[in-house]
Amino acid sequence: MAPRHAAISPLLALGLLALAGVILPLVTGDSYYLDVATTIVMNLLLTMSLRMQISTGQLNMAHISFMGIGAYTSALLAMRAGLSFWLTLWVGALVAAAFAVPIGAIALRLTGPYYFLITFAFSEVARLIFNNFFVGLLGGPSGLVEIPPPGPLLSVAFTGKLELYCLMLGLFLLGAAILVRLEYSRFGLAAGAIRQGELLSATLGVDVLRYKLTAFVLGSAMAGIAGAFFAHSHRVLHSSDFGLEPMVQLVIFTVIGGVGSIWGPVIGTVLMTVASELMRELRHYETLVFGLVLILTMLFLPDGLVSVPSRLVRALARTRARRGAIGVDVAT
Amino acid sequence: MLLELRGVSRRFGGLVAVADLSMGVSPGTVHGLIGPNGAGKSTVFNLISGVLPPSSGDIHFKGERISGLGPAEICRRGIARTFQATTVFSEYTVLQNLMVAGQPRSNDGTLAALVCSARYRRGEIDAHSRARALLAPFRLDSVADRVVGTLPHRDQKALSVGMALATGAEMLLLDEPLAGLAAQETRDVMDLLRTLRRRGLTVLLVEHDMRAVMDLCDRITVLDHGTRIAEGTPTEVQANPAVVEAYLGAAVGSEAGG
Repeated sequence: MAPRHAAISPLLALGLLALAGVILPLVTGDSYYLDVATTIVMNLLLTMSLRMQISTGQLNMAHISFMGIGAYTSALLAMRAGLSFWLTLWVGALVAAAFAVPIGAIALRLTGPYYFLITFAFSEVARLIFNNFFVGLLGGPSGLVEIPPPGPLLSVAFTGKLELYCLMLGLFLLGAAILVRLEYSRFGLAAGAIRQGELLSATLGVDVLRYKLTAFVLGSAMAGIAGAFFAHSHRVLHSSDFGLEPMVQLVIFTVIGGVGSIWGPVIGTVLMTVASELMRELRHYETLVFGLVLILTMLFLPDGLVSVPSRLVRALARTRARRGAIGVDVAT
Repeated sequence: MLLELRGVSRRFGGLVAVADLSMGVSPGTVHGLIGPNGAGKSTVFNLISGVLPPSSGDIHFKGERISGLGPAEICRRGIARTFQATTVFSEYTVLQNLMVAGQPRSNDGTLAALVCSARYRRGEIDAHSRARALLAPFRLDSVADRVVGTLPHRDQKALSVGMALATGAEMLLLDEPLAGLAAQETRDVMDLLRTLRRRGLTVLLVEHDMRAVMDLCDRITVLDHGTRIAEGTPTEVQANPAVVEAYLGAAVGSEAGG
């Protein structure tokens, strides 16, 4: 008995998503398509966890930095300590979460634009540290290179693109299952209440800070997992991977898809990543197109692309009602 | 006394909204808090419910000091409030609104939600049935699954009181629950408040409808310029010259002030 109503069963939607993910490599063995698909699935983990944070009324501009913390942690543990990726992956997530606890506990006492700004400031600090501090350890402006790929697991070698895709798909589905479960529990109910009215929620006894911090830490752990995967699949890291531009891209993916639904970021991320690949020729002007699409979405589809079907249904019902009314007129 | 304010003051910069206010509310009563516009009634509500901390003075509930606690903690101690401008979660259905309000009683961890333990599922079912039980007394059965933003004012108003009750509070602070209601709706809400009192709930009521206040309240505290100018039964308060003057003076003042 879910306390919230879903247009389609969330489990069914998750199953369809998994099915699509599994079918894709069967349809195409092309390595370029697999690359794009892997990026999409990694971005999905980032945007879905970002939306979970947004659903509690916090726009965290440092999400990408926690991805960076996961990436650098996992890469360094593998390179300097020789640990297996299958261990460093989870350590990366834990370290990202561990950083998120004190940072969230401080930042989340602020709301609205102040929260936005303090997370933005933190993300710049993190990027500067990746770029300019502990150069011997973090590689400074030249970044980290020759990060080892994931070692074999159960006699499967994770060197090919297909294996990497399957790995990221598995990690994403694990994260998505957690997010879906939370969304349709009383956690999701309270999160949405906080987004709609923080003061009202508080006066009804909802521990606003606790929910926000939970969302912040859990989302950061998921970003850390995406980061660790990114490090070992790209095998090079640079501070600019975790700067403002990719962060803004995540926000655009999420908002264009729609933050009101858990599936919004899925639609936004898939469509915009494909669009971005099609616009490769545009290079830097791509950002301009993204900005334009964002503005248009905000103006005409404030609930994002995910709201298009329900809008169509409503528009159809209205037309039918009008036609019905005319029919009555004719009859009388 | 269930609720006690001892020398409570609240300043906003140079403005003193509430000045050295002491008052008590006995358990099981409907206590009115009246006064002209700007007398500080809403500020008193904000102070009691923890939305604002008092600048000085103490507030005690069931013998424990609650001033300085946050709104969520004060709600869990047993005081729930409504707001003057009707506030509900407009994207949620009536039932979802009531379930959010019923949450604090079953504050389980996120982990419990994830693994979906039997205890958690029981909690979920409990929350649902508790919310359902509140529909009938507030005449919301027929709109239980409607999104609240689309409902008429009366239903939203009733829902906001229902949500305060759903928190399991022993004391409700109601800020103008009758404002904007038609005659029949007013009678409905007044009947509801009497039912709440019969069930042993304590109500602190801010209301401009004087007939309703005099009819409903066991005791009334009158505020003007943030200080208490009178307290007593409805008959005592009505006969008090200071009260009459405050109201007439306020009427003249508000005309002059435009």
